Amino acid sequence: MIEKKSIKFLFAAVLAFMLAFGISAPLKAEDTTVKIGNIIPLSGPSASLGEQGKYAREMAVKEINDAGGIKSLGGAKLEMAYADSESKPEKGVSEAERLINTEKVNILTGCWNSAVTYPVTAVAEKYGTPFVVPVSVSDKITEQGFKTVFRIAAKDSWWTRDQFAFLKDMEKEFNGPVKKLAFVYENGDWGQGFAQQWKKLAEKGGYEVVLDEPYPSSATDLSPVVQKIKRSGAEVLMLVSNAADAILLTNTLADYKVKLKAIIASGGGHADPSFIKATGNNALKYFDIVEWETDINKPGAKEANEKYNKLYKQNLTGEAVDAYLAVYVIKDALERAGSLEPAKIKEALAATSLKDGPGMIVGYPSVEFDETGQNKNAALVMIQINDIGNGPERISVWPKEARRKGYTPVFPMK
Amino acid sequence: MIYLIEDIINGILMGSIYGLTALGLTVIFGVLKVINFAHGSLLMVGMYVAYWIITATGIHPYIALFIAAPIMFFFGYYLQDIIIKPIFKAEKNVREPITVIIVTTGLWYILDNLTLLIFGPQYRSIQDNALKGAMLEIGEIFISVPKLCGAITAVITALAIYLFFQKTKTGRAVRATSIDRETASLMGINQYKIYNIAFGIGTAAAGIAAVTLVPFYNIFPTVGVLFDIKGFIIVVLGGLGSILGAMLGGIIIGLIESVGPQFMSSTWTEAIVYGLFLLVLFIKPSGLFGIKQDW
Repeated sequence: MIEKKSIKFLFAAVLAFMLAFGISAPLKAEDTTVKIGNIIPLSGPSASLGEQGKYAREMAVKEINDAGGIKSLGGAKLEMAYADSESKPEKGVSEAERLINTEKVNILTGCWNSAVTYPVTAVAEKYGTPFVVPVSVSDKITEQGFKTVFRIAAKDSWWTRDQFAFLKDMEKEFNGPVKKLAFVYENGDWGQGFAQQWKKLAEKGGYEVVLDEPYPSSATDLSPVVQKIKRSGAEVLMLVSNAADAILLTNTLADYKVKLKAIIASGGGHADPSFIKATGNNALKYFDIVEWETDINKPGAKEANEKYNKLYKQNLTGEAVDAYLAVYVIKDALERAGSLEPAKIKEALAATSLKDGPGMIVGYPSVEFDETGQNKNAALVMIQINDIGNGPERISVWPKEARRKGYTPVFPMK
Repeated sequence: MIYLIEDIINGILMGSIYGLTALGLTVIFGVLKVINFAHGSLLMVGMYVAYWIITATGIHPYIALFIAAPIMFFFGYYLQDIIIKPIFKAEKNVREPITVIIVTTGLWYILDNLTLLIFGPQYRSIQDNALKGAMLEIGEIFISVPKLCGAITAVITALAIYLFFQKTKTGRAVRATSIDRETASLMGINQYKIYNIAFGIGTAAAGIAAVTLVPFYNIFPTVGVLFDIKGFIIVVLGGLGSILGAMLGGIIIGLIESVGPQFMSSTWTEAIVYGLFLLVLFIKPSGLFGIKQDW
């Protein structure tokens, strides 16, 4: 009996101690947190890309919080709230309303799919919530005159501009003139946006467009599209694809033995880590335009990638790096704002000039936003998937100064 | 001309596989009078089962068929027995139990998200299987071997299910239940056991479809949704409950998808498929081959 009582007493004492400790703890330094709302596709067709964005954000937040949080806000910790857009615009909008009104987030980030980001910018503008867009490339996102949107990634007109610049350079370097182009793209906002630019650039560059084919990303059979490519007699194929269709298209192109001089992809599905695994040797010699590659020559990049790979068993991608950088851009702005006032945060974001720190593992020297909220320094890299003895991998090839040492791109591919 | 022949062949082959993916849906509807919204998810489960069998043992995909189909049959059998049956019993007196449809929708979400949690959102494909990228080249005509095998399997499966329903005692009991479940019960047929069997057959058909798809298609948690929508269109087009209808409906969709893009952009073929779906609903709601009877 006595024993039992004493155990009970001990238990009560421990409980009381824990309670006292628990209550006193939050009264100390960490009473403020900065709440960041993130709308990303965590299920649905782009779930794989949304997951990378989530991992990258989590890694950055943990690093910042472990290093003492936001010092100008008394060591405030960053707290992430995630919302699943399912890649659907209407879901993104309702989640943005919820994050702003119910969760009371200080800053929004997201949404990967341009079609989701675009309507969400209007919600953020309505409530005056600063909205940092790591990667959604549709031009119009920063061309609405909104004051709350800040985009880190290059916009799609820059991607297409660089794809054509790359093609011209390849033609020159390898003395292989190209005349006929085929454009094949997913029929969403993103693909249509790219295709519009391509058509203008093709006309300017004196190319002949032999095929202009939008296709639904949800297609279960792409052999009809592949047949069209084959029959068009195109020399260079330019693609915009989400993940599932990128894999299907690549495998079907190989099955039908379509011969092309080059295939130039636009990131997205072609940059998905499972793309190479799911296509094997069928993806060899593909060119893909991205913002970032693991072999990039920048201090800290290798270490960040090793850490990310250890934590999440995959390599960083352009999308992940932009998300990672976005958290550091927010941290930098918060340090300078020294306040959670939305207007102050916006002002600080607009004045960003981030040159170093763990987040700056991108190819360009600094993050600075122009008056539309577009990161004016964002630049792109062209890679080629090839096997140089270590299995298929992504190798930087363009611009020439970024090309991996000792590698010569294969052009034409066959 | 040669192009057209090539496209028609591809359309028929891919369409037969579409028919196969919809076969289970039509069987389950025919007997249970319930639209199984989880059908795409069952297909997805089948694809993962096939994926693991083939990658773990390295056997030929079509040998894996004989392991995957029974696994899927029992998966469906017990899914119906444990999860769906209690709802049926609660709604005994209702002709078309709406709650069961809602339960299958719940199952769809649970299965898709469980897969997402367990296996992650990665896209998988079986790199070294005997059929990967195999092509028959007859002159200028390319025929995909995995699709050809899939189409043959589809026809055999449809025929086998048809014969099972026509010739065996259990099959007749299934048909009796599908025509009039009360009378069938009075004749001593255990209605719920028949439901289990029908659901099992439907799921096994999804499993067979899954095995025919994995040699050339990629596998991811939401893959079922893509085939689900197509499946609904196919069974409505062919007539709910009709096996022949599902196969022909599938081939019609396959032909539109394969031949259509040669005359217009691929986005349009999708619009045509949905347009045809609406047209059938307006003009012949029982479908092209559906029986006009009180379900």
